[in-house]
Amino acid sequence: MATELPTSNGNGHANGDVGSQQAVKEGLARMLKGGVIMDVVNAEQARIAEEAGAAAVMALERVPADIRKDGGVARMSDPQMIKEIMETVTIPVMAKARIGHFVECQILEAIGVDYIDESEVLTPADHTHHVEKAPFKCPFVCGCRNLGEALRRISEGAAMIRTKGEAGTGDVVEAVRHMRTVNAEIARAKSMSLEELRVYAKDIQAPYELLKKTAELGRLPVVNFAAGGVATPADAALMMQLGCDGVFVGSGIFKSGDAAKRAKAIVQAVTHYNDPKVLAEVSMNLGEAMVGINCGQMPEADKLAKRGW
Amino acid sequence: MTKSALSTTFTIGVLALQGAFSEHIQLLRQATSTFNAAHTTEYQWQLLEVRTPEQLSRCDALIIPGGESTTISLVAARSGMLEPLREFVKVHRKSTWGTCAGLILLSESANRTKKGGQELIGGLDVRVNRNHFGRQTESFEAKLDLPFLEVPGVRQPREPFHSVFIRAPVVEKILPKREGIQLEEAEKSETVVAPSKHPKDDVARQAIKADVEIMARLPGNANALSKNEATAADVGEEGDIIAVRQGNVFATSFHPELTGDARIHGWWLGEVVKLVEQRRAVSI
Repeated sequence: MATELPTSNGNGHANGDVGSQQAVKEGLARMLKGGVIMDVVNAEQARIAEEAGAAAVMALERVPADIRKDGGVARMSDPQMIKEIMETVTIPVMAKARIGHFVECQILEAIGVDYIDESEVLTPADHTHHVEKAPFKCPFVCGCRNLGEALRRISEGAAMIRTKGEAGTGDVVEAVRHMRTVNAEIARAKSMSLEELRVYAKDIQAPYELLKKTAELGRLPVVNFAAGGVATPADAALMMQLGCDGVFVGSGIFKSGDAAKRAKAIVQAVTHYNDPKVLAEVSMNLGEAMVGINCGQMPEADKLAKRGW
Repeated sequence: MTKSALSTTFTIGVLALQGAFSEHIQLLRQATSTFNAAHTTEYQWQLLEVRTPEQLSRCDALIIPGGESTTISLVAARSGMLEPLREFVKVHRKSTWGTCAGLILLSESANRTKKGGQELIGGLDVRVNRNHFGRQTESFEAKLDLPFLEVPGVRQPREPFHSVFIRAPVVEKILPKREGIQLEEAEKSETVVAPSKHPKDDVARQAIKADVEIMARLPGNANALSKNEATAADVGEEGDIIAVRQGNVFATSFHPELTGDARIHGWWLGEVVKLVEQRRAVSI
């Protein structure tokens, strides 16, 4: 279960850049809590997601499972396709930009997407730098594998965090690893004195003020979703019980046998994540889950989560 | 579990199907302690996250939080909550407050819903326009003057209420008071209406006699400032309706739950106590 995120937390971040937009940016993420954000590649899928009860959709050209299969360079989607999705559904629409590709972000902001995901699922455009996110009016979500990475993204202006997991595999093991790592590191930080926190901030390469705030709160200072490998209602509820505020589902829905049914089931599972009877009910007769790739047998070079610095 | 007619225990639920319910619980916690400090009666408060009809049945009052109204509506229907919610609001006429998505769900009529429409709970004879200001990049903060927060006897100017509007709806029309469904609204294309319900007893019947009261407007210039291209003249001198009340139902298009300010929660608790005590007195 997620630890409470204090209500008046949305007023600034480590940059000292207290833009009034920060409360508005973090605010939308709070409105998505307890919800499911689904990857969709066209307007038709977006409608299925909306009817299933998705709190938002992520518009992209290929779901991560296909990006893996096809190889090549994965880039921002055609803005025309994203606009079609925006015109088709009334729920928020997110879209992905490559890590460090601030011009893709400018384009996505210009067409009016509701959230930008600076995502490791696409091929990185910069081998060292992430996008400076604070100056954008559009809010950003970014992936993390551990606390240091999460706090670096927040200090750059991310208003929402997600675990990276291992996208396009249908194997939840990496999302669990990342969430457990973040939880364990926060627990460690909580037990530290201020002097120790200074050293720990250097160790994990995180801004000290943000680390201190995280230690005080006992959780990340922004909304934190699970992502990367969620394929079943049970996976989604597992991530919620581990403390996530909500769930992204990528390939897991539209690479399965009965997408609409599975999507509805995952939405119900995220609301009733603590009620095994409901979870049992919604898990029945879902048809085939995505086949998946076992992360344990995956060559290191194929792992998307390693992208990002 | 029967409650004594003189009980000073109140159970306040927050609908926890999706959205910012934790934020409301936090502010209620703050507001209940302030409320108790200001009253001689030792009120007991139970705050409850509501996901099931059984939990709802324990509530004296309910908050429907911000979130995605389509999601909340669909999950409510699939969790067997939609009818119990309509009974709570429109048959028992218990105190209910909706913020943002909650305002949409508590309206008798709504515009710009998803294709195929969406289920509403109803309770307020108003039509809302969803995502009135536009998408996320048009979301904004504004300082509001809220006359209903005036403390009797205190003369100093009211502290403005810092509010956050996120892809917010507004009340675009106050509808004629209706016992049945809003027929003219139902005939309009791309507008959905809530089904009608009959109030259960005298106290509930009294609630439906109430007119819709406009509790707050967003001043035209505040809105104009948020959208660089709009001018005060475009949005009208009076400004958009952003808070309404009708009997037992109260709704705001903004998010008081995204601030540290629990004044609206405190004011609403006072309204809840009044209505519940009225009901408890009748049932002696």
